[in-house]
Amino acid sequence: MKKVLEGSHAVAEAVRLAKVQVISAYPITPQTHIVEILSDYVTTGKMDAKFLRVESEHSCLAALIGAQSTGVRSFTATSSQGLALMHELLHWASGARLPIVMAEVNRALAPGWNIWSDQTDSLAQRDTGWMQLYCEDAQEVLDTTILAYRLAERVNLPAMVVLDAFFLSHTYEPVDIPSPEDVDRFLPPYVPAFILDTAHPCSLSPLVTPNAYLEMRYDIATAMEDALEAFVAVDGEFADIFGRRYGAVEEIAGSDADTIFVTSGTVTSTARMAVEELRARGEKVGALKIKLFRPFPVEAVRRALAKAKKVIVVDRNFSFGASGIFAQEVRAALCNLPGHPPVFGYIAGLGGRDITTKMLLDIYFEVKRSDMPVQDSIWVGLQEVNRAT
Amino acid sequence: MEAPIPLKNILYMPRTSTTTEMNKTGSWRFLRPRYEEKTSPCSAACPAGEDIARIEMLITQGAFKEAWETILLENPLPGVCGRVCYHPCEGKCNRREFDAAVAVHTMERFLADAAARNETKPALPRQPATGRKIAVIGSGPSGLSAAWFLNLLGYEAEVFEAMPAPGGMLRWGIPAYRLPEAVLNREINRIVDQGVSIKTGETVSAGRFEEMRKSYDAIFLGCGYWRDRHLNIPGEDGPGVEDGLSFLREIRSGVKRKVPGLAAVIGGGNTAIDVARSVIRQGGQAVIIYRRRRDDMPAFAEEVQSALEEGVELRELLAPVEITAVGPDCLLTLQPMQIAGRDRDGRGKIAPAAAPPIQITVQRVFTATGAEAAASWYNPTAGGAPETGVIFSHCRLHADGRGAPVVYGGDLTTADKNVTQAIASGKQAALALDIFFRHGADAIEERLAPCRVGNGPSLSLEIYIGGRRKERNAHIVTYGEINTDYFQYEARIVQPRLLIEERHASFDEIELKISAHTAMREAGRCFNCGICNACDNCYLFCPDVSILRARDMTDRRINYDYCKGCGLCVVECPRNAMTLDEEETS
Amino acid sequence: MQLEALDRELMCSGHVGCPGCGATIAMRFMLKALGEKTVLVLPACCWSVIAGPYPQSSLKIPVIHTAFETGGATASGVRAALDMKGDRETTVVTWAGDGGTFDIGFQALSGAVERNEDFIYMCYDNEAYMNTGIQRSSSTPYGAWTTTTTGADWKKLRKKNIVEALVAHRIPYAATANIAFPEDLVRKVKKAKEVKGSRFLHIYASCPTGWRIPSEMSIKIARMAVQTNIFPLYEVENGVNYTINVKPREYLVREYFKLQGRFRHLSEADLDQIQAMVNEDWELLLRKAGEHA
Repeated sequence: MKKVLEGSHAVAEAVRLAKVQVISAYPITPQTHIVEILSDYVTTGKMDAKFLRVESEHSCLAALIGAQSTGVRSFTATSSQGLALMHELLHWASGARLPIVMAEVNRALAPGWNIWSDQTDSLAQRDTGWMQLYCEDAQEVLDTTILAYRLAERVNLPAMVVLDAFFLSHTYEPVDIPSPEDVDRFLPPYVPAFILDTAHPCSLSPLVTPNAYLEMRYDIATAMEDALEAFVAVDGEFADIFGRRYGAVEEIAGSDADTIFVTSGTVTSTARMAVEELRARGEKVGALKIKLFRPFPVEAVRRALAKAKKVIVVDRNFSFGASGIFAQEVRAALCNLPGHPPVFGYIAGLGGRDITTKMLLDIYFEVKRSDMPVQDSIWVGLQEVNRAT
Repeated sequence: MEAPIPLKNILYMPRTSTTTEMNKTGSWRFLRPRYEEKTSPCSAACPAGEDIARIEMLITQGAFKEAWETILLENPLPGVCGRVCYHPCEGKCNRREFDAAVAVHTMERFLADAAARNETKPALPRQPATGRKIAVIGSGPSGLSAAWFLNLLGYEAEVFEAMPAPGGMLRWGIPAYRLPEAVLNREINRIVDQGVSIKTGETVSAGRFEEMRKSYDAIFLGCGYWRDRHLNIPGEDGPGVEDGLSFLREIRSGVKRKVPGLAAVIGGGNTAIDVARSVIRQGGQAVIIYRRRRDDMPAFAEEVQSALEEGVELRELLAPVEITAVGPDCLLTLQPMQIAGRDRDGRGKIAPAAAPPIQITVQRVFTATGAEAAASWYNPTAGGAPETGVIFSHCRLHADGRGAPVVYGGDLTTADKNVTQAIASGKQAALALDIFFRHGADAIEERLAPCRVGNGPSLSLEIYIGGRRKERNAHIVTYGEINTDYFQYEARIVQPRLLIEERHASFDEIELKISAHTAMREAGRCFNCGICNACDNCYLFCPDVSILRARDMTDRRINYDYCKGCGLCVVECPRNAMTLDEEETS
Repeated sequence: MQLEALDRELMCSGHVGCPGCGATIAMRFMLKALGEKTVLVLPACCWSVIAGPYPQSSLKIPVIHTAFETGGATASGVRAALDMKGDRETTVVTWAGDGGTFDIGFQALSGAVERNEDFIYMCYDNEAYMNTGIQRSSSTPYGAWTTTTTGADWKKLRKKNIVEALVAHRIPYAATANIAFPEDLVRKVKKAKEVKGSRFLHIYASCPTGWRIPSEMSIKIARMAVQTNIFPLYEVENGVNYTINVKPREYLVREYFKLQGRFRHLSEADLDQIQAMVNEDWELLLRKAGEHA
């Protein structure tokens, strides 16, 4: 059924359809609408679930680790500071092999307080063992949330569904809300691989000595690897039932492109417009949308970019002392490919500053003029600032 | 829909699948606890060596029959001792230092009375029959005791009693208000039921004694001190002057002679007290004349107290010098005495005071200044050859090869002359004879030594026959070794007694019976020094779950596979029934 | 003493608790009181190690080990999940040390009890961060040496009154308990089991290693803590009704202090001052219970 929904609302709908049983969330702009809607669903009985109004994000994830270990499907949503506060337990959730799903609204990290779109918060958690799926529009947000449960429960790893602050969380778009019957067909009830059970008692997450820790970590690594295949399968199953397929990456006009933009999140929509305009001008340009960031779809990225002559990565994030993070990952994916294209890294839109089509066009022409990147990261739109006295 | 992708991984994750029990933490130990029962001070103080801490424990648990049998294994006359013993056990009771001693005496009487009320028959271990016959002369406490223990040791005991009824001093010397006849009869009947034969009206002369030495395998001589000692003052054979013991015997025979007026009782022992209190009950008044002070009186302090409560007067530091008949009355001339230093036994040494003698008029005089053997040949030294005798703490064995060995016991040989010491003497004699027959006279001392309770001289039959008590460490538990954190102050039971007026009116028993509930509560005050009463502190407080208990909770063991030797069990055992040793290093 | 029908053991031998460990004694009594329909949430503390290294567990109930500060929060999640599964029989217990309760775990605890989550939070208190090597916590008593309050810098701040902090949340049931009083502890655990909402138990658990006392003194010291009024045994219902369970005989505080190596440095004047502080706290407690000294 098609409805015009706010991005946040789409998340909530997906959580409802996924029949999540325990929700724990702590409000942080711009995630608050998700939390409020879900709270209302639980209160009015639209969802049969427990909503734990915990006192911090760290406690959110702790509560979900407890709930998921007891054998029920759980959910949380957060952003920026909240995600950063959860950091310790992000590691815990994956180490404990719990298929928790989280909606992560990409928001800038303080100081200074900035509630607008920025990807550094979720990307700073890329080492935690969580799968990461980036979304471009409200439909994708809803679909990915449902898909994430299927994927996570298959490989026993947690997953975060990432959406841009305000650009996606607070904008309204038409969304096709699937029927509960269809969702039930796609996403069967959660069957935990292990639970806390007084009939069969065991201890979860005890002390582990060097004798066994390495192997447990290896098991997580192989699960992540399996997730690549699993994603493809699940993506296909989703398409079979709902008619929509996203792919770990999406190539946009890339078959004969000399230059390919690499983007994620809502910037991809801007990139589509830039590509359309540039193509109209005869430029051989394309774009590669990266949806699946963890595990990083190395093969798909290589296939998509190998034949290009130049790659432009637009990062709405930065890893200080290194470079934009998508650029890093793309460089790493390409570095062992003989004759791979140079990667031009551009940093733009931090803290919610708009990334316009014109910006992308300017970037394109700058790259066109350059054989090699003059530096690893070029910051776009820097203004002169008056130094504080 | 495509088939699900099979996972290569097996979900190797931090999740447990077994217990820590494969980790034998016993290897950590450098101290090693163990269960080791020790000796309670009461049981060591008891001349009969009764296993008192255990007895009290059994009462607390409601196991009255077993408690009673525990007494009987060491003392055949609990109904008697529970009434007339001077309870040295209470004097050593560790609970004294906490609030008040446990009323062991009352508990013993309770058990005997409960058994009688329920007509309980005891089940006691008896050694295999030896085929030997022992003659026991005298059926007083020492003779009854000797016969009882000889019987338990597998001997056939035959008791010869001159008087028409058995019991010796128990019957003829102790008044009924202290020891009712019915109680005495049932105690003696139990001894008979066990297989001892008692022949009354049988006097053994010196000649008959020599014959018995040929026909019996051994003889125990417990004839006691039946003859009143003379005062050796002028007028003591006059009218109105009587021997106290005879007076008591007369009352016991059923003669209820009224003795109105004031009677003077000369002496300071239990007999003097008994005489005075009997006079009160026979319509008279009594004044006890004692040459030393009250504290020096050999009579039991409680007896003196009771006498005074009943109206007996006590005049101290007066020694009789002459008795003169004045009409129907007696005029007593008494010399005031004074304390001049101390006697060897610690009592005040007396000497005549400077004051002149005083005189009092009384209606009659009773003498009770001590007794001696009725016939000279009763005395062990009468035979004249002390070298053939082996002297033990409570008896004396003569084995000269000219017939059966003779053991002298009871008042004839004990230093303190009272019922419980006599019982101890009979027991010692029985054990000594058994050792004599099996291993010879020289082995007796050596083989008696391990049977001592604590450091002696009390002996335990249970230890001798190899019972569980044998495992006890002879160390006597002190108050400092009790963990008093586990006890609350609780008042000692006060046994109800007849009122003074009621006591004057009859020879009925003064102390009244107590209920089972009261007994259990009082016995519950006992610390059970040195023995395990299954309180389970060790089990509860072990951090390593290393105390194992038998299904019926009677047995406890330490699981040394896991015990880390922390020592909590030993410290929290309220009664020092555990010991901590150094772990052996291999 | 006899604790009837509590012979069932849900704790195994072979764990690596120090000899005489009070925390293991506390756990053993607690499990006897609650039984096998219990899920234990175990944040970082000594018991994280005593519970056994992979693949061993020293407990016969399900345990979820969790991060240090998450005791209250994780339990909230476990409870919610059990409720969603329709299981109202299983009791959720958080078993945390003083560190994970008084300090780093305080937020999660306060949050959980403010929501009146239906679980029992039990803090076994050995008065320092023992697992990491005897560092001070806000539960360390006035006067104590720890590895972070050494020499002249012995702790000159009072022990945080955690029970009062929780009573201020008006939770249905809060109580103190002590390993030397097993009947009282078991009674309180059983009572807590029957109450709905947030329940808090503060359990005194001696630590021979950290307090520098001989291992066999664990129980005796614990008992003295109550007898000296340093650790009174009391209950508070609904944040208002105080019941003092034990009124000991007169017992001087210095008797307790002199037996422990961690207090060895205290002078007579220090001990006098501490006695005055203990008296003051005791009188305050008496007033709250509506009684007088």
